[in-house]
Amino acid sequence: MVADRVSLKLKNCLSELSTLGSCLEQLGVALGLSSKTLFEISLSMEELFSNIISYGYTDDAVHWIKVAISHEDGMLIIRLEDDGIPFDPLKAEEPDCKCPIDQRRIGNLGIHLTKKFMDDMVYERRGNINIVTVKKKITVR
Amino acid sequence: MEVVEKKQNGICILGLLGRLDSNTSPEFEKKIFEVIEDGTKSVIVDFESLDYISSAGLRVLLKATKQLKRSDGKIVLCSMKEYIKEVFEIAGFVSIFPIVSSVGEAVEEF
Repeated sequence: MVADRVSLKLKNCLSELSTLGSCLEQLGVALGLSSKTLFEISLSMEELFSNIISYGYTDDAVHWIKVAISHEDGMLIIRLEDDGIPFDPLKAEEPDCKCPIDQRRIGNLGIHLTKKFMDDMVYERRGNINIVTVKKKITVR
Repeated sequence: MEVVEKKQNGICILGLLGRLDSNTSPEFEKKIFEVIEDGTKSVIVDFESLDYISSAGLRVLLKATKQLKRSDGKIVLCSMKEYIKEVFEIAGFVSIFPIVSSVGEAVEEF
């Protein structure tokens, strides 16, 4: 694998998470990322990916989700493209992380964590494609 | 992922190994709910050998603790890696779960 640029095409099923996970692990080794940084990236990718496959599609057909990873100027840049229904994760309602346990709901927690762990997150809808681009500061060893 | 179950003085200790993600959390959910349905009220989840957790894992823990609360039971979490504890802090779960540094300390919570 070339460390500078990685492209993946994943099917819309959860088992593809292991493909994504091992790709990120290889990238972590190639770039010498700390285990904490790699963890934060892996978690964010899982949250975005699982959101797409859980809520993005209204049919049972196989859909492809494109993932492109690159880095420049100390930033890791990950771009996800899917042809699901329009969904802007930045507009997702913030979860209430302070209310008592009985009223606590798990919804949107994944996006909340992703926003915290990533330094930048941009959404755009181009034609029938959702494009989410996240960036994270990294120290390349 | 693997879940190792141990019993100690009526406390059930579930040790998690590997990754608790969207793929593996249904397995953990099944296990912890079996334990609760068996009538166990005191549960320790040992994170010592857990390398990864996502919101799917948090969801199972929240659901389980809500269920246990109905029977006056409790879940205590222990031995978390620092970066995993950060997830609990960001999610606001530190106010829901007692989180301690060892199984020994977790036992003291009951």
